[in-house]
Amino acid sequence: MEQTATTTLVDSRGSACPGPITDLALAYRRSKVGDVIELWATDPGVKPDVRAWAAKTGNQVMSIEDHDGKIVVVVQITKR
Amino acid sequence: MTKQVLIIGGGAGATILANSLNKRDFETTVVSASAQHLFQPALLYIAFSNASAKVTRDERSLLARHVRFVHDAVTHVDLNRQVATTAGGAHLEYDYVVLATGMSPDLSSIPGLSEVDDRYGDYHSSVAQAQKLWRNLDNFEGGTIALGQSFPIIKCPPSPLEGILLADRLLRRRGLREKSHLVYFTPYPRPYPAAPMSELIEPILKDRGIEVFTFFDVDRIDPATQTIHSIEGDQIHYDLPIVIPPFGGAKVTFEPPEVVDADRFVIVDKQTLRVKGTDSAFAIGDGSNVPTSKAGVGAHLEAKVVARTLAGHAATFDGRTNCPFDLGDGRGTFVVGSFDAPVVKAAPSRLKHFMKMAFARIYWLSLRGTLEPIFSAYFALTRPARRPAEPQARV
Repeated sequence: MEQTATTTLVDSRGSACPGPITDLALAYRRSKVGDVIELWATDPGVKPDVRAWAAKTGNQVMSIEDHDGKIVVVVQITKR
Repeated sequence: MTKQVLIIGGGAGATILANSLNKRDFETTVVSASAQHLFQPALLYIAFSNASAKVTRDERSLLARHVRFVHDAVTHVDLNRQVATTAGGAHLEYDYVVLATGMSPDLSSIPGLSEVDDRYGDYHSSVAQAQKLWRNLDNFEGGTIALGQSFPIIKCPPSPLEGILLADRLLRRRGLREKSHLVYFTPYPRPYPAAPMSELIEPILKDRGIEVFTFFDVDRIDPATQTIHSIEGDQIHYDLPIVIPPFGGAKVTFEPPEVVDADRFVIVDKQTLRVKGTDSAFAIGDGSNVPTSKAGVGAHLEAKVVARTLAGHAATFDGRTNCPFDLGDGRGTFVVGSFDAPVVKAAPSRLKHFMKMAFARIYWLSLRGTLEPIFSAYFALTRPARRPAEPQARV
C-alpha cells in the first residue's frame, strides 16, 4: 500500500551537544521519498551541515531562512 | 508530613538523587531491575585493554540507610493514578516519581546487527559483551576493523572515537598496525558532531591512518559478505565489526502513553525536568528526551536539580556536558557545553587524561554525595561561556 508523504517538524532550538544534525539524521532514518522535514535550530552551524548532508544524500534543500536567530531549514526527501 | 518519592532505575542519577533526599522530609524508594550498579565508562577499557578493575557494586551498598531498595523491574507507570507496577506484581504508590530508567539496546531494528553483536560483542551494553569484544580484539591478527555508531543517539558521544583510537593503540602495541586497516563510520557530517571538537580530532585520525566515512547511517549488515551498508548507499567491508547498537528509552509503558517519543524517551521540560503534562513526575538521565549528551554528568546534575525542586527550591538544568575524551595516546580532552554555550575546542593534555582515569576511582564516592562540594566548585569553575542572547524556545 502506498504511504502518504508527510511533513515532520523537528525543533532543535537550544540543542546542546551533539546538536541539530542528530535530529536531522533521526528524522531522515524515519522518512520516505516525498516527505518534507522542517528543522528549527539556533546553532548557525546547521546551515553548512544541512547543505553537505543534502549533497551527500541526494536530497533537496528547499529553503534555509533566518528569523531573528531562529533558523528554519526545509528539506524534501527525494532519495532513500 | 513526609513525601513518598519513588525513583525508578539504579544508575548514577537514581542513586545520587536518592542520597540527596533527607529522611525527615522524604520516604524514598529506589526500584531497579538490577541489584548491581555498573560503572558504565569502564566498558571501554574492558573491551580495548582488558581492564580488570571491579566495575560493579551492590546497589544497596551505595544507598543511604533510610532509602528503601526494591529489586524488581517496573513495567508500567500510571502517571494519573500515581502508581507503578512491577514484573513481580507489586504496586508502588508515590507522591512524586522520578524516571531514571536509562536506555536499552534495540538490536532488532537493524538487519544483521543481532548476529554481529552476538558474535563480536560491543562496549556499550554489558560487561559480558565488552569482554567478548576484548577476546575478539585479542585474537585479531590483521585485516579491517570497522567501528562506528549505528544510530544517531548513543551513550557518551566521544566513545566511538575513543574506541577507534584505543583500537589503533592496541594494534600498534601488538605490532599489527601495518597489517590492519581501521575504518571509522558516523552518521554525522564530521568525525565528532560538534565542529570545534571535530577540528581537534581530524588531524589525529589522519595522523594515525584511520579512514573516516561520514554521513554513514547504518541501514543493514550482511554477515555473509562481511559488509555494512548505509542508507546513503555506501558500504564498508570488515573482518572485525565493532558496531555500537541503537538505543532507545526503557521498555516501560505509561499512562498516558503520549509522555514518550517515538524512541521511548520520556518527554520532559528540558529545564525543570518535569514530565510533559504532570506535576508529580520527573525524568533524569539517559532515558529522557533532554537535548544534551547521554552521559553520567547529565544524570548527576539533573538529579541535583530534581532534589532541589522536591525540597521546595527553584532549580533548573542548564544542559551542561563535561564528557571526558581519551585520545588513546596518553592525552585527554573534555567536551564542555550547555544549552546556551556551544562546545569549544579544549586543548588535549595528559592532565585531562589523568582526570578521566581518576574519576573512575572516585565515582563510587560521588554517588554518595560526599564529594558534592568539590563537584559544585569544579562545575562553577569550568562553566562554559554563553553565546549571545537568542530567542527562548517556544513549544
